[in-house]
Formats: sequence, structure tokens, C-alpha cells
Amino acid sequence: MSGSLLLQSVILGVLLGGLYALLAAGLTLYFGIMRVVMIAHSAFLILAAYLAWWFNRETGIDPLVSLIVTVPLFFVAGLLTQRLLVSRLKPLTLTMMSVLLTFAVALVIEGGLGFIFSGTQRRIPLPYASESLNFFGAQVPVVKLIAFGLAALSLALLFVVLKYTRFGQALRATIQHPEAARLVGINTERVAGYGFGLGLATAAIGGTALSLDATIYPSLHWHWIGPLMAIIVVGGLGSIPGAAIAALVLGVAQSLLQLPLGSTWAQTVFYVALFLTLMFRPQGFFGGRLAQRF
Amino acid sequence: MITETVVIPPSAPVRPTWSRWVSVALLLVGAALVLAFPSIAPNPYILSAGVVILNYAVLSTGWNFMGGFTGYISLGHAAYFGLGAYGTALAIKYLALPSFVAWIVASLLVAIIAIPIGIAALRVRGASFVIVSIAFVLIMLLVFQGWREVTGGSDGLNVPRPFPDLLRPEHHRVFYYLFAALLALALVVWWIIDRSKFGTALKSIREDEDKAQSLGVPTTRYKLIAYVLSAVFVALGGGLYALWFGDLDPIFQFSILIGSYMVLMALLGGVRNLFGPLLGAVVVGLALEYFKLEFGETQFHLVATGLLLGIVVLFMPDGIIPAVKGLFTRSSSQASIREVTAAELLDQNRARSAKQESRTPDASGEETS
Repeated sequence: MSGSLLLQSVILGVLLGGLYALLAAGLTLYFGIMRVVMIAHSAFLILAAYLAWWFNRETGIDPLVSLIVTVPLFFVAGLLTQRLLVSRLKPLTLTMMSVLLTFAVALVIEGGLGFIFSGTQRRIPLPYASESLNFFGAQVPVVKLIAFGLAALSLALLFVVLKYTRFGQALRATIQHPEAARLVGINTERVAGYGFGLGLATAAIGGTALSLDATIYPSLHWHWIGPLMAIIVVGGLGSIPGAAIAALVLGVAQSLLQLPLGSTWAQTVFYVALFLTLMFRPQGFFGGRLAQRF
Repeated sequence: MITETVVIPPSAPVRPTWSRWVSVALLLVGAALVLAFPSIAPNPYILSAGVVILNYAVLSTGWNFMGGFTGYISLGHAAYFGLGAYGTALAIKYLALPSFVAWIVASLLVAIIAIPIGIAALRVRGASFVIVSIAFVLIMLLVFQGWREVTGGSDGLNVPRPFPDLLRPEHHRVFYYLFAALLALALVVWWIIDRSKFGTALKSIREDEDKAQSLGVPTTRYKLIAYVLSAVFVALGGGLYALWFGDLDPIFQFSILIGSYMVLMALLGGVRNLFGPLLGAVVVGLALEYFKLEFGETQFHLVATGLLLGIVVLFMPDGIIPAVKGLFTRSSSQASIREVTAAELLDQNRARSAKQESRTPDASGEETS
């Protein structure tokens, strides 16, 4: 393998890892605040990608502009999902049933997309789709750079919100100890709703970023949910930094393995990492004991 | 949220004898209907739908060895369905084994594969377990799609028919009875475990794993046994499906959808009941066949499945059978230990004492019959 090719793989891996990190952060939010495993996260991702594609087809304007509509829309959708569906589950079996419930939501979204847009593969015809930059001999497509920039910016924004706003403080308090948070007067139900909204907003951003250079079809979300789930387990359920680091490492590993093994086999790296984690460190690399129990 | 767990010991059964007779009669009528179905079925298509539904019933009953007894919900049991099917096909193709020998050999191999998988997956509980089960079926899909030289990849794999001389309707009829026999076996084994000490231990894991462990239940070993047993029955269903259908395709064999059907069927019928998954398979199976017939190529059946699963999870997580039983017997199921919140217990006690008071005329001051 030549040096520039290796460099290219690493760069592409980091760019992909950035997208994984943003999406895994969303999953971590739901789990951290509510012990909810949100299988439909990647289905919403594909839904956002479809909306971006549809917006571009109808108006011809750059799909990134659709974010103005999809981000608030998805935020509200997250609020509603939490209020109308998730909050109805009984606390004792919440985590387990949340998997099934959000799985059901994913099926409805996948089926709905197939019903409306058919199973045909779609791609946005962007004028800058084939442009790429040259980094020391490594070819890096511009669309992937834009996608990464968008993901990194959103992740940074999410970080700032969680770290420095009052809402972020309430949210982190709820993650650390829901009962104590309630005792000091935090409305944890409302926090949960907003957390869900934030999570789905990340899915909207991720989906739009994805739509720039991916061929999309309704069942694509299964290709995303597996790696994302593996990432949050490896990183330690509930830990956002853990998820981000695992996302970058595994993204680069996947990209590096693509050359010798091909893209199908390279994906197995997530599952190998998942099984190794379970065998040797079931709580993940950054999670506490909590991860093992839920 | 403060929920105190109170364990109520199973109270003495107050079943009137007629209810037992009704159960036996229902069982006999049901069995007779199942056995007579091929003779009643108006055409081979309906008969083949019957085979599909029996296959679903085998899968969801097999799933229920794990899900029902231990409460560990696996969305990835389709992996064992696919492994059973592909194992059977590959054993015929490469080892030149007779069809039904290949079927047994493949299912035993699946049992061996399920041991390390089970050890890894059962190290975590709840959501992590579900995630791992999903990951397992996805990795199997990758392997069987990627390993083209052996499995044929996405082009699929032809399975030689065990009875090449049979015409199509006869072929369906033979497999209908084979599936019925396999289902009967699964039901009998589940019934035996349900009444055994082993079964009680598994249920104690379902109710409170930590307490069960502290009371000396070898939880790890028991969970693993249940897991492997469950995998084997699902694999047997898969292998029989391969022999019946004759054509395998990784996308279908290793699909999360098949795994979700198993969960949906078992939950819908009731995971704590012997016939719950079977009832669920009949309801969901009929619905699925209808949707496929009616909506064909559109993806509407996914929407329907999703809505059904959502409704079951939100409104009847205990399933149809307990709900129907609840209509006839006032007290809730006494089959096993169940968890009650302190508030619920208080309500129950109040209701009970109120009832007792109204029975004694002195206390209430009224005459009651």
C-alpha cells in the first residue's frame, strides 16, 4: 500500500468517523437521559436524507439549505416521540420495551419511505459532487469534507450547549442521577423531551450530510444502526466522549480495512470490536457499571 | 421513582374443575383443526400459507424458550433461522448427506455455535443484549453475502428437494405435517420446562436476576442452556424451511424483520403462556399473508408490522392470552411470581379488606347475600 493511499484511507476514515460520532452522540443522549435505546435513530437519519433529496429535486437549491426546515421539524418530532410514545412505557421494563417501540417506529419510517418514494436508489446530483482536494497525494472529495465539517460543527455546538447552558446543566444532572435531579427541582420529563429533540436534530443534520454523497434507499438505515450501536457499546453506554472516540477509531479502522478486504468485510470491524468489548470489558471503555445492567 | 418490589408467593389455585375441562377441550379442538387443515384447504396456495404460519409458530415458540422464560429479548434470532437453513443446505451440498440427516447435523452445529455466542451475549443484560443480538444477525448477513464461493452470496443457494417425485400440493402437505410435528415437540419441551425446577429458576432470573443469583441459582449456566435450546429450535425451523422452500437468499434468511416477527408474535400472544407464541403466529402470520397478497410489492407490510408492534408494546405488553384470561378470572395470573409496586399492593389490600367488610353485616350495617 502506497503512502498516499494510506493517508487517503486515514483521512476518509476520520471524515466518516466524524459523522459516526455525531450520530452516536445522539444515541448516547437518549440512553443517558432516559435509558432508551433508540433503534429508529438511523431511520430518522435516512428520512432526513430523503427530505434533503426531495427538497433538492423540487427546488434545485443546495440540500444544505433544507436544514433550516428539517432541524426544527426533527426537534419537534423528537419531543413528540418522547411525549406520545416513550413516556408511556412502564419504568420497570422501559429500556427493553423502548428497543421494541423504537424498532416499530423504524419499521414505519422505512415502510413509509418505500411506500412514498419506492425502493429505487436515489442520489442528489450536486454540481460539486466529483470535485476533490489534494492533500499530499491523497484525494479527498469535497462533499465528504463538507459532511465532516457539518458534523464536527454540530458536535461542537452540542458540546457547548451541554457544557455551558442551564439546560445543558440540567440535562447532565439528569444523566448523572435522575432522582437527585428531580429533588433539586429539575423537570426531568421536560429535559427528557428536549434531549430527545436534540438527538433527532443531530439525526437531521447527519442525514443531510449523508445525502450529499451517498446513494440512499429506504432499508439503508440497517447499515447504519449496526455500526452506531456497536460504537455506543464499545464507547460505554451513556458516555458521549466514549462514543466520539470509539466512532473515530472504528471509522478509521473500517476505512483502512476497505483496501485489503473490500467494503463488505470491512464493516465487520464494528461487530468484531463489539464482541471483543463484551468478552473483555462489557461495560465499554468509558462507561460505568450502568452500561452492563440496562 | 420509588418502586418497592414485593414478591407475592403463588397463592393456592382456585381453579374450578370445569376450566380444566375447557382447556383440554380447546386443546383437542385446536389440534384436530391443525391436523385437518390440509384436507380443508381449498387450494395449494392456502396450504402453503398454512406451512408458513406453522413455520412462524415454530420460530416464535423456539424464541420463547429464551424470551419467555428469562425475559432476555433477542431481536436477532433470525441469525439462527438463517444458520439452520444455510447449514442444512451446505451439509447437503458439500457433505452429500441425505436431506434430513443434514437437517439434524446442521441443527447440532448451530447448538455448538450458539454456545460461544451465548456466552458473549449473556454477559450483558437488557438493552445491551438486544443490541448484541441485532449486531449478530447483521454480521451473519455480511458473512453470508460476502462469502460468495461457499454460499452463493446474493445470488442465493438452491437446496435439493428431499422428495423430488412429489407434486407441489403433496410436497406442501408433507411439510405441513413435518412442521406440525416440530411445533408439537417444541411445545412439549416448553411445557416440561415450564413445570420443572429448571423452569422456575429461569423465571426467577426473569423477575430479578440479582436476587436469583444470590439465592444460589446458577444463572449464567441456566441462561446459556435456555439460549442454546432456543437457538436449536429456531435452527430446526430454519432447516425445515430450507428443505421446503428450496431456495435461500441471505437478505431474507438473515433479516431483522424475521427476528422482529418472532418477538412480535410471542409478545402478542403472551410470552408467559405455552400457546402464546402459537396464537401470535396465527394472528400475525395471517395478517402478513394478507398484506403481501393485498399490497404486494409496496412496502406497506413494514408499516403494518411496525404499527402492530407499537400497539402491542404500548397497550398489551403481556399479550392476548393474559388479557383474555383476565376477562374470565378476576385476579391476575397466578402462574408465577410477579412484581407489584407498593402502591398497587396497598390498593389490593384495601380492596380486599373492603370486600371482607361488606361480607360481614355487622361491620357495614347492611344485609348482603
